[in-house]
Amino acid sequence: MDCIITIELGTNAVRVFAFDMKGELINSAKGSYPTFHSAPDFSEQDPEQIFITTLYVLKNFVAEKILPEKYHVHSICFVASMHSVLAVDAHGAPLGDLITWADNRGKKEAQELKSTPAGKKMYEATGTPIHPMSPLVKIVWLRKNDRPRFDRTDKFISLKSYIVHQLTGEYCIDFSLASATGLMNIHTLKWEDQALEYAGIKANKLPELASIFVRPGKLRKEYQTSLGLSADTRIIIGSSDGCMATLGAGVWSDDKATITIEDSGAVRVVGSRVLRDERQRFFNYILTEGRYISGGPTNNGGVIFEWFAQQFGEFVNPFDNDHAMENHIREAAKVSAGSEGLLFLPYLLGERAPLWNPNARGSYFGLNIKHERQHFIRATIEGILYEVYSIGKMLDEHRSITGLSVNGSFATIPFCTQLIADIFNKPVSTTKNANSIGLGAFLLTATDIGIYPSLDEAAQSVVFQETFLPRQHDHDVYSKYYEIFERLSVKLEDEFREIATLQQRQKETSSTTEAIQ
Amino acid sequence: MNQFFLHHQHSKELEVFPHILEFAIRKNTTIQLNSLSTTTSDSVRIYYVLEGKFEWLIDDRRSVLYPDDLAVILPGQAFRGEKNFLDIGTLFWIHISAARHEDDKRLVLGTWSGLSKAETRTMGRVLHLNNTPVLVKMKAAHSILQAIQTELFQQQIGYQTRVNQLIDELLVLIARQSTHQNNLQRDFPKVFIKLEEALRKNLAHQWSVEEMAALVGLGTTAFSEKVKKFTGFSPLNYLINIRISEAIKLLRRPDISLTTIALEVGFYSSQHFSTTFKKLTGYTPGEFRKINTSRN
Repeated sequence: MDCIITIELGTNAVRVFAFDMKGELINSAKGSYPTFHSAPDFSEQDPEQIFITTLYVLKNFVAEKILPEKYHVHSICFVASMHSVLAVDAHGAPLGDLITWADNRGKKEAQELKSTPAGKKMYEATGTPIHPMSPLVKIVWLRKNDRPRFDRTDKFISLKSYIVHQLTGEYCIDFSLASATGLMNIHTLKWEDQALEYAGIKANKLPELASIFVRPGKLRKEYQTSLGLSADTRIIIGSSDGCMATLGAGVWSDDKATITIEDSGAVRVVGSRVLRDERQRFFNYILTEGRYISGGPTNNGGVIFEWFAQQFGEFVNPFDNDHAMENHIREAAKVSAGSEGLLFLPYLLGERAPLWNPNARGSYFGLNIKHERQHFIRATIEGILYEVYSIGKMLDEHRSITGLSVNGSFATIPFCTQLIADIFNKPVSTTKNANSIGLGAFLLTATDIGIYPSLDEAAQSVVFQETFLPRQHDHDVYSKYYEIFERLSVKLEDEFREIATLQQRQKETSSTTEAIQ
Repeated sequence: MNQFFLHHQHSKELEVFPHILEFAIRKNTTIQLNSLSTTTSDSVRIYYVLEGKFEWLIDDRRSVLYPDDLAVILPGQAFRGEKNFLDIGTLFWIHISAARHEDDKRLVLGTWSGLSKAETRTMGRVLHLNNTPVLVKMKAAHSILQAIQTELFQQQIGYQTRVNQLIDELLVLIARQSTHQNNLQRDFPKVFIKLEEALRKNLAHQWSVEEMAALVGLGTTAFSEKVKKFTGFSPLNYLINIRISEAIKLLRRPDISLTTIALEVGFYSSQHFSTTFKKLTGYTPGEFRKINTSRN
């Protein structure tokens, strides 16, 4: 029997899924890798470690869970997180570590570019907000701050390009990942001259652009042997995690949106045209010609809830954060909607959409003497979801969204899903397959094989499991508090900047004292 | 608190305990210049603050100690008063002789100790890696020191065994506390990345699961389960991952021999390296080097 394997190179881990040709999940496996922060704004990963982890997981997965079940691997499709940059030399050897999406070293470069007319033009052409996450900004940073590395670089590639190159010997990047680099024109599907010029590179410093259906080549013979895969295994370049989470969520019409909340989160819509925004608040990534995924990302998703549990949760066993979080959900449910007037701004990690303010910070507001521990817990959850709502509201200015589909570990906690329905005042569906990214990659591959005539029809095959309906009374409460939430988020801009500056200064002083000691 | 001072060379109480170099309580009421200037020794020096505030430099790091705090100075570490004198206050201390292997951060106690060699070695390693010379609020250590004092002065039947057991107990308490003080056992990813950094810093070392678990402050079973759930790998397989990833980096540099690479990243031999590498990647290290340094 044939099966399709999808490989997701995520932020913290590689996840491997196998589906049969009908889209039923056969099995899955994962292997995690760390992120290193050698300086406060740096987020880096070891590309070799990711490669070896991927090989290791895939090898064990195929040997233990696929071949013994008599499956034949028909295709392997790749998905990766966006915005990563790896400099490689002429031999393909990495120059330094991989710079991930979360890396903020290009803060200054992004700020300088964003307010200029050129920056605005580049945003319109490439669809990628001018932000330190953007590979464009990262390359500019390298040119200005790490000239030796910049000069030795033969190519600036993404993580997926690196892994696929290792396995097949070919360099390429698919349109969706490329449209998140800030360097590709999403209208012409070519590298954008103005952005290249600003980055200070020529197009030959970047991998070949390719459709998401392209097959970059066969697995190298040695990997066929070590992985136990045949020479006819088709390798499909695939897409980005954001695009695949949307495809796998089955949301494919103008009046629907997808909410994904894991550690971070995003609200996304699909359309045949890009969403134009004067204030540069959206991303517009391309999946295939005429299919754009637009939306806004948040830094502060489930990671904030986890942070709260780590600080204030009750731990019966060491490191048992899951237990602490489950208890928190139970306690939050005891408090009524709106947490009796306790509001939480969740911007602990600065914020992307809709504020696009790296200096934004967290805050509890409205605290009175009657508030107890459980109010804090509920307010924390509500604050995270208000932020997601603020992205949804901004999208609603361009579309009239009538229904939502959710995925990601935080958004699919039933308590949270219900709150999303209440806050948005829209029905929210969950899908049967918990991992939408893997399912999205399966649908992409199945479309390529001809199981579905188009991605649109593939998306419609997604089975919804449960629909949460909004509760009017709670919605009315939330919308009143949300108004204050929104006003505070804007009003505090000056104070955010001042406190962030002080925090930065203190961090610098304390790290110098440490260095002296 | 009555002062006393026992020294292994001239106190008959310590005659049967040659490994206890000093054991004392001292109330310091005046400041004398140069009363605490730099010393290093091969012993484990443990100080417990009864009264006062002490400002010390331990292993070049500034530490301030308050009552109930404990300082542990490992063999080979430099120790002195910040201003080279002993501050005013009362201290309880014990110095235990130990041998040390410079390269290995290994702690070796004499036959008097009931701790197994492997456990002692792990404890030495954990103490070095945690690098927290000051443990705060260590009242439990005070009770143990008091018990040692009682045993030494009363010399009731069985006291020889008891004293040595109490020293072992003190060392175990210190090793555990140094890990628990380092992490609250809440944020596994954060603790795990610290472990990963420790592993990468010394990949050539033959890490055991016991050592890794001790650094995280868990028993080996709980540790292995956590790591498996978090990373998808058993601790030793995760370690192999890191070893191979580092090896790949070195293989890209044609100036290092395969044997050197093998040993540097922690394989027993180039044979062991080659087999593991080939099993995972399908290439021998030599083949991998060839395709990655000549192509393009």
